[in-house]
Order: sequence, then structure tokens, then C-alpha cells
Amino acid sequence: MLTALILAIWAYLCIFDILGPTFFLGFRPLIAGFGTGILVGDVQTGMMVGATLELMALGVYTYGGATIPDYTVGAILGTYFGKTLGFEGGVALAIPAALLLTQVDVLNRFLNFIFVHRADRYAEAGDAAGFDRMMIFFSHIIWGLSRAIPVFLAVAFGEDLVQGISAFFQANPWFNRGIMVTGGVLPALGFAMLLKILPVEQYPAFLLLGFVMYAYLKIPLLGIALAAFAIALVFQQVKYRAKEA
Amino acid sequence: MAANKLTRADLMSAFWRYIFFFQMGWNYERMQSVGYCFTMLPILKKTRPDPEEFKEAFITNLNFFNTMPVLGAPLIIGAHIALEEAGASLETTEGLKVGLMGPLAGVGDTLIWALYNSIIFSIGSVMALQGNVLGPILVILLVLIPYTALRYWQFFWAYNQGTSLVASLGSGAIRRITELATIVGLIVVGGFAPSIVKLTTPLKWSREVTLRGETVTQTVEVQPQLDSILPYLLSVLVTFLAYWLLKKKGWSPTRVIALLFVLGFVGGVLGIFG
Repeated sequence: MLTALILAIWAYLCIFDILGPTFFLGFRPLIAGFGTGILVGDVQTGMMVGATLELMALGVYTYGGATIPDYTVGAILGTYFGKTLGFEGGVALAIPAALLLTQVDVLNRFLNFIFVHRADRYAEAGDAAGFDRMMIFFSHIIWGLSRAIPVFLAVAFGEDLVQGISAFFQANPWFNRGIMVTGGVLPALGFAMLLKILPVEQYPAFLLLGFVMYAYLKIPLLGIALAAFAIALVFQQVKYRAKEA
Repeated sequence: MAANKLTRADLMSAFWRYIFFFQMGWNYERMQSVGYCFTMLPILKKTRPDPEEFKEAFITNLNFFNTMPVLGAPLIIGAHIALEEAGASLETTEGLKVGLMGPLAGVGDTLIWALYNSIIFSIGSVMALQGNVLGPILVILLVLIPYTALRYWQFFWAYNQGTSLVASLGSGAIRRITELATIVGLIVVGGFAPSIVKLTTPLKWSREVTLRGETVTQTVEVQPQLDSILPYLLSVLVTFLAYWLLKKKGWSPTRVIALLFVLGFVGGVLGIFG
């Protein structure tokens, strides 16, 4: 029960962070999973589950306000249950949990209208102090609880369910195989979304260059990023010098 | 209207409100309006000592507002404060907000959410999968320090620039930075996609061949054949399939997720992929 409470608070903090401080991007599965790993004493599982979900979700975070599967709660529950189920089991549990909670986000973004209506009333009355109180103490409650409550319930009462899932996995190894292949394929969507906002048709050469650096030259990711920066700088120097001359 | 001079404490009060509460209470109806208003209240109290004028500004600043919270919002807030201190009308400040929130949201989403975050989270996740604790820690540091510094700098830069902000934003500097980031993004995506999208096949087939009177079994594995055509061929194909469905066919991301899920899961279970 104590673990359930602690993880519920962690879920609240993860979502609170993106609504204001944005100090650690706790809503991203890598961070949510890593933090959960620390809290339940299994950092390795936290990192594995978090990173796997992160790579699946990569790119779906392209736009600020979009509603997407709740990989934050997915990573927290996946790590907690992954501690006993193993990391594949954790991931397999995290995905349906994340999908199941997609609509909760829509609901709470809708329900938050009560704050703006209350704010109108405070403004009509010129009551700045009342408005400040609402903002500081209540404005994050719907958002925070919409993540904290599912985490609390799943951790506090989900043990039996997870026992059942665990037995199912042991009896059916093919299920894990399917999940692992899916985990490798889903990031394609993330990259597709990035490509969609980038001018691929205008500059196909840059895309090809990145591919060659990785696939043939085997340059590590950080090296590719640095080389990309250098290439972009040179490109602009040449382009704008030609224009200004 | 005799506007009052703002102190450093007033500015910091607005800054901290922005840092901690900017998107609290976000809702479909007016999005970041309550957070924006909350940020501006200490300023409005100072610049509009008359209760009726304050009330009017309070109501007006609850109008619809939405932009990118990290890159964009502090610029608008800083410039708004400068205008407010100079005694600008509500029409002027609303014009500033509405005029800048759209363009800045586009730039901020692309630069921070799409490009910067994708790069640091890809690198951090790959490190984490190798069991390296520095992966997530590096990501947190690369968020905490640059984000906060960027927000502080924008806020005070825009305040100091005041009304000349709009002119300097139009000078082409933003366009050039966006182009730079776009090129970096294209190269990085080209390299990261095959490193992260994993699709291989264990398929192979055997056949009996008779060589100089002896019967031998020859096994042909499909994956090495594919690799000799193009490394990461299947990863490239599935990424372009997703891109094509999104861009040319107008599929929603959720529909693409469903398709990839079925493709991966069924393919994995049947042993076609894996």
C-alpha cells in the first residue's frame, strides 16, 4: 500500500512537471520509468522498460498539446510489475495500460474548463487573491489525479491480475516474441512523424547522408548529431555568403 | 495613463509564476489562458492601480492563449510586460499575444519538442538499454539546465527589447535558426531511424542439391541476402511505409500504430520477423 502511494505521488509529480516547471520532463517514459526504478529499488528494469517505451513513443511527442497513449503511466506500471515479471513482461503490460488511459487525458483536458469558468468569476469580482489560491492549490488536481489514481489502484490491487498475466507468459512464450518484434517496429511511426514535419522532399540528400553515416560508416549516434551540426553550419555559411556577395 | 515603474521583484514574481504554473489548468476551451493570466497578475496590479482598470485587464488576459511553453511563451510574456510598463492599451497587448503565439508555437514545437528532445531522448534511451545509468541522468541534465536558462534568457531579453521585439523577430534570424535545426534534424533522423527501428527476419529455406553425384543440403538465410542489398533494408521500408501512410494517405497516427502493432505482433508470433 505504501508503494502504491509513493508511485501515485511520483505519477502526480511527473505530470505536474510538464504543466509548469519542465525541469526533468517526467512525463516521458524514459524518465518516468527511471524514477520508478529508483523508487522500487530496480533501476535496471526501470531503465529497460522506460527506454523501450520511449523509443516506441519517440516522435509522437512532436507537438505539445496532442493526446497520445499515456506512456507515462505505462512506464511506471511497466517498471513496477516488470520487477517481478521481467522486463518483457513489464513492457507487455505497459502498452495496454498506456492505450487504455488515452481517453483519460481527453477527459481531464475537457474537465479543466471548470478552472477557466471559476477564473472568469474571480476576474468579474476583481478577486486576484482567490484566483491565485485556485491556481496554486487546485489547478493541477484533475490532471495529477487522473494519473495518480490509476497508478495507485493498479499497484495496490493489481497483484492477482499480474500473477495471472505472469502465468500466461510462462505458458505462451510466443507472446513475448510478438511483443518484442512490435517494440522494434513501433518507433517507425515516431520517425515517420518527424519526417512529416521536416522538408524531406526539399533536402533528401541530408537524410541519405545520415543513413550512410550510421549504416555504412557505423558512427555512434552522438557523433552523427555533432557531424550534422557541422554540416548544417557549413551549408548555411556557403548559402548565405553566396547570397550576400 | 501614468504607468508605474516595475521593480526587479515584480519581474521575478511574474517569472516564477510562469515557471511553475504556466500550463496548469490547461483546457480545450481557452488552453493556457489561466496560466497566462496568473503570470501577469503581479504586473497588472502594479501597472493598473485603479481597481476598475485592473479588473478589465484581469478579464481580458483570460482570453484564449496557446503557444509553446518553453520556447515562445517567455518571449511573449517579457514583451507584454514591457508594453504594459510603457502604458500600452489592452488592444495593443492582446494584439501582441495573438500575433506572436501562432508563429512562435510552430518554431518552438519544431526546435524543442520535435528535434532537440528526439535527439537527446534517442541517445539517452540507447544508453539506458545498454544498462548505463548515465543515459537518463544525461537527459535530465540536458533538459533542466538548457531549458531553464533558455526560459530565463527569453523572458528578460524580450522585456529589455520591449516593443522592438516584433521587428527583430522578423529579421530573418528565426528563419535561419529554424533552417539550421531542420538540416540537423534530417541528418540525425537518417542515422537514428535505422539504429532504433528494428526489423529483421529469421526466415531461411533449405533445399537438396545434387553436386557431382553427392546430395547436400543448402540453407539460404534471407537476412544476410537483404543486408547485402542494403543494410537495415526492412527498417527503412517499414519507416517509409509509416511515412507514406501518414503524409500521402492521410492516416492518423493511431491508425498507423494499430497497423504496426498487428504487423509486428503477428509477424513475430508467426516467426516471419524477429
